Amino acid sequence: MSKSLNHLLQDARIWQGHKPQKHASPAEHTGYQVLDNQLGGLGWPKGALSECLLDSCGIGELHLVLPLMQKVARQGKTIFWLNPPHTPYAPALARAGVNTDQLVLVQTHDPADFLWTLENCLRSPVTGLVMAWPGKLATRDIRRLQLASEAGNNVCILFRERRQAEQHSPAALRLELIPGEHQDLKINILKRRGSWPGQRCTLALGHRAGIQASDPTGVIQGPWSQDGAT
Amino acid sequence: MLWLYLHFPHLLLDHVRRSQQTQGALAVVDLAGQAILQVCPEADHLGIRPGMRLKTALGLAPDLVILHLDSQQEANLLEEQARWLYRYAAHITLSPPHGLWAEVSSLQRLYGGLPAVWQTVEQALAERQLTAWLALGHTPLAAQLLAQAGKGECTADKGHILTALGKLPLVAAGFDEKSCTRLHRLGLNTLAEVFNLPARELAQRLSPELLARIQKAQGTRPDPKSPWHPPHRFRQRADFIQEVEHAQGLLFALQRILTELEEDLCWRQQDTDTLHLLLQHRHEEATRLTLRTTGPEHRAESFLKLLRLKLDQHPLRAPVISLSLSVKRFLGREAPVGQDLLGDGQDLNEAWHTLASRLQARLGTEALQQLAPRADHRPEFAWTASAIKPASRHSETPEVSGLPARPLWLLSTPHPLAEPPARWFSGPERISAGWWDGQRVHRDYYIAQLSSGQLAWVFRDIRDGWYIHGWFG
Repeated sequence: MSKSLNHLLQDARIWQGHKPQKHASPAEHTGYQVLDNQLGGLGWPKGALSECLLDSCGIGELHLVLPLMQKVARQGKTIFWLNPPHTPYAPALARAGVNTDQLVLVQTHDPADFLWTLENCLRSPVTGLVMAWPGKLATRDIRRLQLASEAGNNVCILFRERRQAEQHSPAALRLELIPGEHQDLKINILKRRGSWPGQRCTLALGHRAGIQASDPTGVIQGPWSQDGAT
Repeated sequence: MLWLYLHFPHLLLDHVRRSQQTQGALAVVDLAGQAILQVCPEADHLGIRPGMRLKTALGLAPDLVILHLDSQQEANLLEEQARWLYRYAAHITLSPPHGLWAEVSSLQRLYGGLPAVWQTVEQALAERQLTAWLALGHTPLAAQLLAQAGKGECTADKGHILTALGKLPLVAAGFDEKSCTRLHRLGLNTLAEVFNLPARELAQRLSPELLARIQKAQGTRPDPKSPWHPPHRFRQRADFIQEVEHAQGLLFALQRILTELEEDLCWRQQDTDTLHLLLQHRHEEATRLTLRTTGPEHRAESFLKLLRLKLDQHPLRAPVISLSLSVKRFLGREAPVGQDLLGDGQDLNEAWHTLASRLQARLGTEALQQLAPRADHRPEFAWTASAIKPASRHSETPEVSGLPARPLWLLSTPHPLAEPPARWFSGPERISAGWWDGQRVHRDYYIAQLSSGQLAWVFRDIRDGWYIHGWFG
């Protein structure tokens, strides 16, 4: 490198976009090396909001968070599920090694209660992870939540609909989740604080249903097989 | 034996005055609403005196606030006073409607002398914004008479007490009216003159009851007092002169009551987790609110925060004329566990209780649930949701190696499968159970991928219907 270039690089006014910021905000590893690499080796940001945008559940979105859930539960911190669309199935969570005593399910009925609850959970030191399924959120509300999460230093993941990708959001991390062909999950990073967006990666999540990659078919075909399903 | 008597000349007034933020002239009138019985200093300043007719008093002070005498309420109030006095003295006897006895000879060593006992009680009275006249006596009656006359002194000397007692006029001795008149006619004016009369003559000429009273005051006749024991509950009440229309107005009175509760709990070395709040309205049925905390608690501050939330959630239906807070459930204190030696680390257990109590106060107890697996073959019965329980936290991860593969999402009711799945992966897993409780399940479960890319847990029931029962999230 030339001398003048070295000189330039030492100038604090020049931002080197390709370098992950070393003193970046704290984060929790996602448990998936591929995704961590795309996130600058960090993972889920702590003390900030993350958003997962998806069309429908059952595409591996919980498995994406599962390594974090296991870690948080081991640390004895509480995992809050706020207004989940279905029941988190306790036997499956227990099988995955998540201590179900650390899970708290909260159901709220009106949006004001939802925001209030989420804010309180985020600010508490007992919370390790908050997963929330908000209905509609105004940008102002997300800003409010962002401030609450900064106060608490927890991981907060909002699961929202994919069409809200267009909407501006103050969240620190926005991931678009799309189901792949082979039970895998395609992740588009729409926004990442302190770096360029637009990275993509694919996680193989076939193991979530106990499916081997090379499994031809484990299904015992009966006389009912295809016609019955109609 | 040495007795301390506390005479509360206007307990009801004190009680009402300390629940108010603004001070105005107050007076208590008798049941008929004719005569003034007790007046506060502000009213006294305006020239209102006990015994005055109500009309005259209203003429002097048109803004005078009038309280009606309620003997039941007075009895409750007196018991409240006995309750805090019980912290200082073990042997207490109630003397309705206005007084309390406390046996103090056994306390002298503990407090380091009589003046210290006296001072402690006076300080406690001042803290509670109460007026009481104290007096010591070698007999209960002597203490009572001296206190009611306001002539109490801090002395244990029997001769001194008897001299003070002797100087009291006959009216202050509490004899019945007939005997009093007769004694006056005999030319006797003070108690000392009556004491000097021979006992036999007194009983013959006046009445045996009068003699008994004199002997009880002098100490020549036993006057046993049975000790009062505090009931195992806490109950405090605040009455408002002006109806309170906003919850904010209740908080001032609640704060004082909660501080007393905290003190009470500290003395008992106990905690509580349930508070009952009763709000009385003038024309409507009373509102009952129950506040539950997730863990044992005793601090007034945290109760107040929760009550504030609760009152925000339940707006007042009507203006409140009085409130009462009661606690019936007491729990033993436990030493805080898991704290480091210096207490630097945040107490997560406590933070958890604070958070859970806050959430439950606003959302209701049912809104927070904990999940747990349950041993059942039927998927919809293989889990339970229960109200959060603090005891089970920090338990070890249960042994789960034997659990079958299951989806992370379970649908609350199976959803009919609209189109054939794109791909089949595994199955069938036959689940047939529940014949024993009438909720029979007879299904073959498969794992399949729908055309939308979702991995579903589908089943075919005995009637050949296909349903989605879970998502592999």
